[in-house]
Amino acid sequence: MDTYVILRRSGWRSGDDLEEAAARSTAAGEQMSDDIRWIRSYVLEEPDGVGTVCIYQASSPEAIRAHAAAADLPVDEIVKVADTVLVRPDPTPVTIDN
Amino acid sequence: MTELLEREELLERLAALHAQGGRLVFVGGEAGVGKTALVRTFVAGAKPPFLHGSCENLSAATPLGPFVDVAAQTGGALAETVAARAEPRDVALALLHELSQPRVVLLEDLHWADQATLDAIRVLGRRIDSTSALVLGTYRDDEVEGEHPLRVVLGELASAPAVSRLSVPRLSLEAVRGLAAPSGSDGDAIHRLTQGNAFYVTEILAAGGGALPETVRDAVLARVAGLDPAARRLLEVVAVVPSRTELWLLESVTGAEFEHLDDCLTAGILHADGDAVAFRHELARLALESTVPAHRRRRLHARILSALVARSSGSVDPSRLAHHAEEAGETAATLNYALAAAAQADEAVAHREAVAQYERALRHGAGLEPAERARVLGAYALHANSAGRYPEAIAARTEAIAICRSLGDRLGEGDHLARLGGPYIAVGRNADAEDASRAAIDVLERVPASPELATAYNVQAYMRMLNRDNAEGVAWGTKALALAERFDDRDLVAGALNSIGTSYLMSGEIERGIEGLLRSIEAARPPRREFRVGSAYGMLASGLGEMYELERSERYAHAYLEHAREHGSDETYILSWLACVRVYRGDWDGGTELARSVLDSGQGAIGRITALIALGRVRARRGDPGVKDVLDEALERSRSGGHLQRLGHVCAARAEAAWLGGDVERAVEEARAAYPLALEKRHLWFAGELAYWQWKGGALADVPEWIAEPYRLQLAGCAGEAAAAWREHACPYEAARALTEADDESLLLRALAELDRLGARPAAKLLRRALHARGASVPRGLRLSTRANPGELTARELEVLRLVAAGRRNADVAAELVLSPRTVDHHVSAILRKLQVRTRGEAAVAAAELGLLQNR
Repeated sequence: MDTYVILRRSGWRSGDDLEEAAARSTAAGEQMSDDIRWIRSYVLEEPDGVGTVCIYQASSPEAIRAHAAAADLPVDEIVKVADTVLVRPDPTPVTIDN
Repeated sequence: MTELLEREELLERLAALHAQGGRLVFVGGEAGVGKTALVRTFVAGAKPPFLHGSCENLSAATPLGPFVDVAAQTGGALAETVAARAEPRDVALALLHELSQPRVVLLEDLHWADQATLDAIRVLGRRIDSTSALVLGTYRDDEVEGEHPLRVVLGELASAPAVSRLSVPRLSLEAVRGLAAPSGSDGDAIHRLTQGNAFYVTEILAAGGGALPETVRDAVLARVAGLDPAARRLLEVVAVVPSRTELWLLESVTGAEFEHLDDCLTAGILHADGDAVAFRHELARLALESTVPAHRRRRLHARILSALVARSSGSVDPSRLAHHAEEAGETAATLNYALAAAAQADEAVAHREAVAQYERALRHGAGLEPAERARVLGAYALHANSAGRYPEAIAARTEAIAICRSLGDRLGEGDHLARLGGPYIAVGRNADAEDASRAAIDVLERVPASPELATAYNVQAYMRMLNRDNAEGVAWGTKALALAERFDDRDLVAGALNSIGTSYLMSGEIERGIEGLLRSIEAARPPRREFRVGSAYGMLASGLGEMYELERSERYAHAYLEHAREHGSDETYILSWLACVRVYRGDWDGGTELARSVLDSGQGAIGRITALIALGRVRARRGDPGVKDVLDEALERSRSGGHLQRLGHVCAARAEAAWLGGDVERAVEEARAAYPLALEKRHLWFAGELAYWQWKGGALADVPEWIAEPYRLQLAGCAGEAAAAWREHACPYEAARALTEADDESLLLRALAELDRLGARPAAKLLRRALHARGASVPRGLRLSTRANPGELTARELEVLRLVAAGRRNADVAAELVLSPRTVDHHVSAILRKLQVRTRGEAAVAAAELGLLQNR
């Protein structure tokens, strides 16, 4: 499996929409666990709603597309990660309120 | 016999599958793990009694062996079909016909199955759901690694809805402790040594006492050591007969030892199996066989052979006789029986077994007359070629040519020369194939016209066609056809029409090409020419794909796949073309899924190239990563043949990817790599696309007038007409790409909307930039998911919905649309969500209300 960054810019109108999408994403991910693993996401504050930058491990870019289609998630761009430089742990997660 | 431990769950699953009916279940596990014990326990109480067949551990197995066993139990139409030496498919259909009642069929040791048996099992797997029977097939899963023929079948049937696999695990420490407890043995030590292999465990416990035997063989021998010497001599006889030994045979080969049969049965070393006896396990037989000294083994084989021959005048299976004759060192008998067994394998179309028998015959063939040896070499080469053993086929033909030359047999020499072409091309020795083909024609034209000359012409026609020298392909094919008709050889007629039709297709004479290939199928229709029928469908699917006649290509691809499934031929190449065709038709998800399935199967070197191209095109068009990996591999694999049909396709895809990646110079360079070849062969589409990428890079001096229409229009600056032409070829992406070259802003905006819809990020990005530069107001891309809009189904989802609404199960939908069952599950979930319904029935109603069920 390779690591990928997936950009989903301005994918949702609100945090609630995103939460529903996250539940679908988890469910779809469980069905194809041999091909894809969701690692983490950063939620983006955008002018017209919210977007995400997601880190996944996947067997191919097509597996990411198939997962996105099954879970009804938009995909702007998929970029393969060449290397990881960890400097500090992620800051404590925050919940967005809308 | 020990009670079956830790198998409750497996037995329950088998019972559930039995209750469902219409299932084929492969039961896998290592040797001795307890597969037979499991399935025998399961079928013990079956009513009506279960049917049983098994494969034998022979270097060259009897074709259709397990089906012969089953036919002996059913009698009737199946027995007649088997006795008539029918082909695997007909045998499988006859068995399916027997299975109208809920019977259980047990086919054991499929890892030793001959090729004809595997072909029949393919058909069983595809059609078992039409019966109410349960077919169980056992196999050693640790012995079917790599390119094992059974593994290929398991892979092919993985997507068949009525086929499943069970795996029999080793015994746990608790189970072994439980078995050891009554005799006070050290369960932990036995588990450590045996790793929970059920047979090994029971052998150790049966041997009893003292130090634990180091290997399973030692355990078996320790158990036998306690028997009377005469009983052990009896066991030696049973050990040198593969699988089971008939009682009459055992009695006629042994003397007083026969009296000890009861001892061996009581001790549980042998078990009775109808009118025969067998070791409780093949591992025990091999252990015993290894202890028989060579000279005694040889004598035993000789006695078994003469008993078999004396008993029956000609009705004994020749592969069995050949085995014992060879082990007995009887050269002349081995040669005769091996040739008879090879002929039997030939009738059953079991190439691997025919190859093994011909090899055995040639090993013992010192007594063959030269002319006869050349004939045997030819038959061997034919099967070796069909079995993919190309180097052996080349070597056999080469030797046969030398023999024919020394005998002055020009016809034979020419025929072997012509037939060298196939295996030479298969290993990429194109120049040698060309030399042999020309030499064959040269030799055969010096003697009166013959069917051999027709074959030689057709080999040359086929090679010209492969090389896309279309006019020459037609010319040589026409010469072959005239001779084939004169000799009324329908197989050759079908072959010649195939070369002619495909050559026409590749020259752009689409209708004439299709007509030729359909006539080829007609000529091949009588039975036994299935290879020709499959080849013609395959040429129609791949050739029409290469010519961008996509809808018709897809239709013939389905015809090919249906034919291939029934006859067990390779599916990967046509699946890879179907992947490309789907991509070109704008179904990127469907295309990449098929491409992945071809790549993951690990089969089909040529299909792999086409699948890599499909994947590379989509990744490039989406702007996804991983383009370089797949297109580099595709180029590497295309080099050895050097044929335009691969190189042209790969270089076009590489040029496109470079251009979309922003590297215009490399795009021109990639296009130029195959352009001269495409011009030389006047390939409408490859020349068209390769010219196009050079033109985009401002590096094309002359525009050929004859290239495919949509490209010609694009290069002439007629973007709107070009887009319309692309739409006629059912290519939405190419149509949008053509519109991006228009001047009219409304056309550009239409192109942008279409590129956004397709998810063609790099092309859309370039167009947005161009629109901004013109000062146009540019709409943002599709941000929100299209799915936010209920009822907005994709083309693929609509297709699935139509079948679901017609009451089809997901598995049937998957088979019909050539998708994986999991993908269909995803589509159905998406459909339910988009239509905001809970059940398939509600989806059908909602779809009807929304008017989604009419054909487009």
